[in-house]
Amino acid sequence: MSNPIRDLPTNVWNSIFRHPLPSNDLERAQTSFSNFFLHLHPVKVNRNTLRPMYTMGLGLISLFLFLILVVTGVLLMFYYVPSTTQAYDRMLDLQGTVAFGIFLRNMHRWSAHGMVAMVFLHMCRVFFTGAYKKPREFNWVLGVVLLLVTLFLSFTGYLLPWDQLAFWAITVGTSIAGYAPLVGSQMRFLLLGDTTVGQEALLRFYVLHVAVLPAVLTLLIAIHFWRIRKDGGLSRPEPAPARDVGVVTMRIEPGKRVFGLQGFVRGPFTKIGNTPEDSVYSWPNLLMAELFVFALTVSIILVVSLAFNAPLEQPVNVMHPPNPAKAPWYFLGLQEMVSYSAFWGGIGVPGLMVLMLFLVPYIDRGTKGVGLWFSRERLLANTIFLSLAILNVIFIIIGTFFRGPNWTFVSPF
Amino acid sequence: MSVATKSHEPGAAVAEGQMQRRRVLAWLSSMGLFGSTVLAVISDLVFFKPRVTYSPSARFSIGKPEDFPPGTRIARENDRVCIVRDGNRLAAISTTCTHLGCIVSIADTGFACPCHGSRYDQDGNVTGGPAPKPLPWYKVSLAPNGEIEVDKNTEIEPGSYFNV
Repeated sequence: MSNPIRDLPTNVWNSIFRHPLPSNDLERAQTSFSNFFLHLHPVKVNRNTLRPMYTMGLGLISLFLFLILVVTGVLLMFYYVPSTTQAYDRMLDLQGTVAFGIFLRNMHRWSAHGMVAMVFLHMCRVFFTGAYKKPREFNWVLGVVLLLVTLFLSFTGYLLPWDQLAFWAITVGTSIAGYAPLVGSQMRFLLLGDTTVGQEALLRFYVLHVAVLPAVLTLLIAIHFWRIRKDGGLSRPEPAPARDVGVVTMRIEPGKRVFGLQGFVRGPFTKIGNTPEDSVYSWPNLLMAELFVFALTVSIILVVSLAFNAPLEQPVNVMHPPNPAKAPWYFLGLQEMVSYSAFWGGIGVPGLMVLMLFLVPYIDRGTKGVGLWFSRERLLANTIFLSLAILNVIFIIIGTFFRGPNWTFVSPF
Repeated sequence: MSVATKSHEPGAAVAEGQMQRRRVLAWLSSMGLFGSTVLAVISDLVFFKPRVTYSPSARFSIGKPEDFPPGTRIARENDRVCIVRDGNRLAAISTTCTHLGCIVSIADTGFACPCHGSRYDQDGNVTGGPAPKPLPWYKVSLAPNGEIEVDKNTEIEPGSYFNV
């Protein structure tokens, strides 16, 4: 006899979690399939996907950093006022009076730096493993857009503390935008809402930073992830040619393959070569890997936030730029190039590099060497990309450590 | 409608006419949708461009000519101009670096920018660094009340002084 009262807890539990903790393959599949948060995963993943040294979890780390940024960012919003007269005082309040205020700000700041670095490294990983090739071209393009949105998010957040560092970095950064041909000065005016960085700019950057850009980023991340599935999962090496050719002479028995409805869908959705031997269930293999990366990311951010405080300089003094006035580190390469030529350093060269990034999957159409780090077949492409990446890093290092007052060359040693 | 499409004799012409009409209507509505999208984008741009800014006016008075004795070379930091008086001639030179918008400081040789090391001579001509253009000169005039007025909206030829 069923008793509604006695069975209430069980019934409620079963209505939320439709499957018990899986104990067999069918339940493992059902769990991945029917849970809202887990259905992002395929039921089974290729072993190659789970090799830590293949992806290094860089994309996943970027996602987790974004989650940390959303949570800490929303918390910081409860105490922040985007006003030129109040913003800096609010920063001091965060440090002095708000419980965990300084800690949350540290977490937000270091996660933001980390996210820029991780998104960049993720892009390098995808390039060096040739993972942008057909059918993943468009997802690479989305990834480049995600990198740009991440940079813009970081840039808009940089102004909010309204200290000397913020004010002059944004003054320099938006002046770079002003060098764009034809629309440059108009773009700058739209971004700042005025001719100079002031209250209007602070409000605009705030709205972009807390509402517009996070929404755009969330949508793009969703499409990015959806396309990973639709483009056939993470890239992997071509299945090795059957080693037993020549050994089996009698007959070749086709492997027993069961097609579900998905088997009839045309295109990359069909996972050719994904034979039962080289794939494993997402639950618990993929899930555990993801949880590990999550725990690692959060712990590192916590430790760094305990050890280092986010910088806060003097309040804005519109008359006296600090000497030297430096942008955030990931823009220091840009600033270094800008010190040679404002147009070429600020717009020309970076614009060309971004254009090249967008076009890479449509220019490099070779199909060899996909899913392998630094494959021999991709020596030329990898060399070009590596040189440009190293060049950018060198410019960033010069701008960060080797530039002193009046942007003269100084030795950090 | 279903009757018209099913019949084969006189209805065929009617169906033909209907197809034509449908195509025209579909075309018109797509044009309408496309037009509204374009209008929406334009109105967004108009919305984001402020008609009035809250910053101080670009035209302001700086005081009587007597306040600036000959030989004066003084930077008005709030207005981002440097007032130069040479004999009876007055000029207002911008102190906003033409490179990336930092404020240049007055140096012995002219002006120097702390951000990327641009250097200018006394008249604002570039002598070094990445600055692409000389510092602009602004229009100086005498207001009816006898005060000197600087108009940062109007740039004038460098070297053209105002005689007081």
